[in-house]
Amino acid sequence: MTWTEFNYLAPPAVGLWWLSAAAVMRGRRRLAEAALLAGLAVFTVFVAAFWRDLGRPPMRTMGETRLWYSLFLSGAGYLAYRRWPYPWLLAFSALLASVFAIINLLKPEIHSQALMPALQSVYFIPHVTVYMLAYALLGVAAMAGLVQLRRLKRGQADPELYAFLDNVVYVGFGFLMLGLLSGAAWAKEAWGHYWSWDPKETWALVTASAYLLYIHMRLKDIRPRLTLGLLSLALLLLMITWLGVSYLPSAQGSVHVYS
Amino acid sequence: MESYPEKMWRFPCSYRENLLIVAALMLGGLAAQLVIGPFDYFFLHYPVNVVLGALILLLALLGRPFSRAPLFRWLGSVPWAVSLILGLMVLSLIMGLTPRLLHLPPEPDFFLRLGLAQMTSCWPFVLIYLLILLSLALVTVRRLRFKRGGLLFFLNHGGLWLLMAAAGLGAADLRRHVMYVNEGQVEWRVYGENKEVLELPLAIRLDDFDLDFYSPKLALVDRHSGRPQPEGRPDWHQIDPGRVDGRLGQWEIRVLEYIHQAVPGEGGGYREIPMPASTPAAHVLARNLASGEIRQGWVLSGNRYVPLSLLALDDNLVVAMTQPEPRRFSSKIKVYTREGQEREAALEVNHPLKIGPWMIYQYGYDQASGRLSPYSSFELVYDPWLLPVQAGLILLAAGALGLIWQGRRRRAAV
Ligand code: HEM
Repeated sequence: MTWTEFNYLAPPAVGLWWLSAAAVMRGRRRLAEAALLAGLAVFTVFVAAFWRDLGRPPMRTMGETRLWYSLFLSGAGYLAYRRWPYPWLLAFSALLASVFAIINLLKPEIHSQALMPALQSVYFIPHVTVYMLAYALLGVAAMAGLVQLRRLKRGQADPELYAFLDNVVYVGFGFLMLGLLSGAAWAKEAWGHYWSWDPKETWALVTASAYLLYIHMRLKDIRPRLTLGLLSLALLLLMITWLGVSYLPSAQGSVHVYS
Repeated sequence: MESYPEKMWRFPCSYRENLLIVAALMLGGLAAQLVIGPFDYFFLHYPVNVVLGALILLLALLGRPFSRAPLFRWLGSVPWAVSLILGLMVLSLIMGLTPRLLHLPPEPDFFLRLGLAQMTSCWPFVLIYLLILLSLALVTVRRLRFKRGGLLFFLNHGGLWLLMAAAGLGAADLRRHVMYVNEGQVEWRVYGENKEVLELPLAIRLDDFDLDFYSPKLALVDRHSGRPQPEGRPDWHQIDPGRVDGRLGQWEIRVLEYIHQAVPGEGGGYREIPMPASTPAAHVLARNLASGEIRQGWVLSGNRYVPLSLLALDDNLVVAMTQPEPRRFSSKIKVYTREGQEREAALEVNHPLKIGPWMIYQYGYDQASGRLSPYSSFELVYDPWLLPVQAGLILLAAGALGLIWQGRRRRAAV
């Protein structure tokens, strides 16, 4: 199979993922799961046949890595949803998986766009995918944190919301740690050392520390407002780590800035 | 919130007190920095680092029978942990915002002498790091129990302790060198930090360096300014056997023939010969969308042996080829150790070689010469503490999976 067949197989997969997202938000959980898995199956068939016909793992171009994002996001998103049946989790995974498929459909020029040698690693795709799941969960945590903050200001925090909040932070932080650790393992293989205090790495540490502060401050009910506010600050730090580091004066010479 | 019996000695239990202590420690660290200069990792060389690690563990073990002692309760308390993590976060934030200096200038000003531009050897950082190690060790040992929930706590805190201890205390024993080897020669010397020549206990012979590149792109270039056109948002045509037709500005182009490794042939053409001196070549047909004019010719980015070739379209515009980007570069090497071990390997980025306690990485090559690079460079890393670091990584990864699986289990009331 080649990119030509992708034009016929990707649209049905995208359609199924959209159906899944729409269904889960309307409470049609069974349908949502079935549609997501069907989309995943169509996509898997394409990637497997593509791999076979290429005679090598499809991991060398931008377009090829986008395939794996779609595949992993829908797969990992499904597993995470099975464990934590939050509708938005499934919807997010399905929609983001479809975004990467659509990018491949609309921008065929990235199909052959070179991937620099350091990026050609087995750690690359899992590293990026777990971070995307972490972003989703921690983004939701920040929003829910703001809601709780408002309740708190009006008098009474909602214990149910706290339970939800802590849970989502623990799960999101788990994914964040997996991203950090796979990054370290990858750095060891590609650059000779697992941690070099590169700006991107340093910012990842700052972000992780902010979530650690939340996790540990929640163990004692002191300063609840500050604790909740931390979730917004931490999300901001996460965004800087992801998008902003390249613009910082400290990033000149960073090995992890890919223009 | 727990309440503490009044009769006990008080220990710092509010955030304010703990934060003040951390701030005081950091200021004290800065003062130490000004007086005695940066922390010298040389001091931590084996066996000092092992002794220090053992001392921390010993203190942590003492914390178990004496868990009610105020000192241990404090060092294992949540506000103390939070204050330390905040301290680390602030220091990392400074590190993340300011450029790092590798070497201090001979006459550093006051700010440089504070050492914040070389954070990892700055006293406040070293102090916080050590205190986090102590706190982690203490809570890990205190919470060691074979109960549900005990395992996840151990994976996260014990794993982080192992990782931080091995990476931080072990940093003194780490050695990293870059070695440049000319093709066909054997090298065992590297340059040290002060440009002195060091001899390593292993030698590398470079048998062959090879570089494979991606097929390049075509672009429309203004022959006067040399800039790609249209100005501001240039068009590129990625050469790809699957897509021969494309458009550059007002010109429709077709790649009639593409030779990945071309050398000049007879009669102005090119032929495929896989050899280092070859370069990619494209035979291009261009048609002006407005006037229908047609141009045809070879386009090459060229190298030292094969001259550049452009396709002239009009007085201003030419079609040019971008420099090919490396896809893979690899070195066939043979490694000899002092103990008489010999190993042959093909090194690539992301595919290092492990020989004894050394890891050898493909590092670079002469970028100006590309495939014709006369040398290849390797990074040699000696890290005797890699195994515990990897163990720590694995424990932490298991802990992360545990967090994902368990979430925060509801406790009675918070
Ligand atoms: C990967 C990093 C870390 C994770 C995922 C983590 C997670 C947690 C969790 C989930 C708890 C609550 C456990 C429970 O009550 O059952 C906890 C407690 C605690 N953590 Fe951490 N932590 C991390 C790093 C640290 C660090 C760096 C410190 C010290 C500086 C620390 C000190 C503490 C302390 C003192 C407690 C309270 C223990 C107790 O009440 O017995 N943790 N941590």
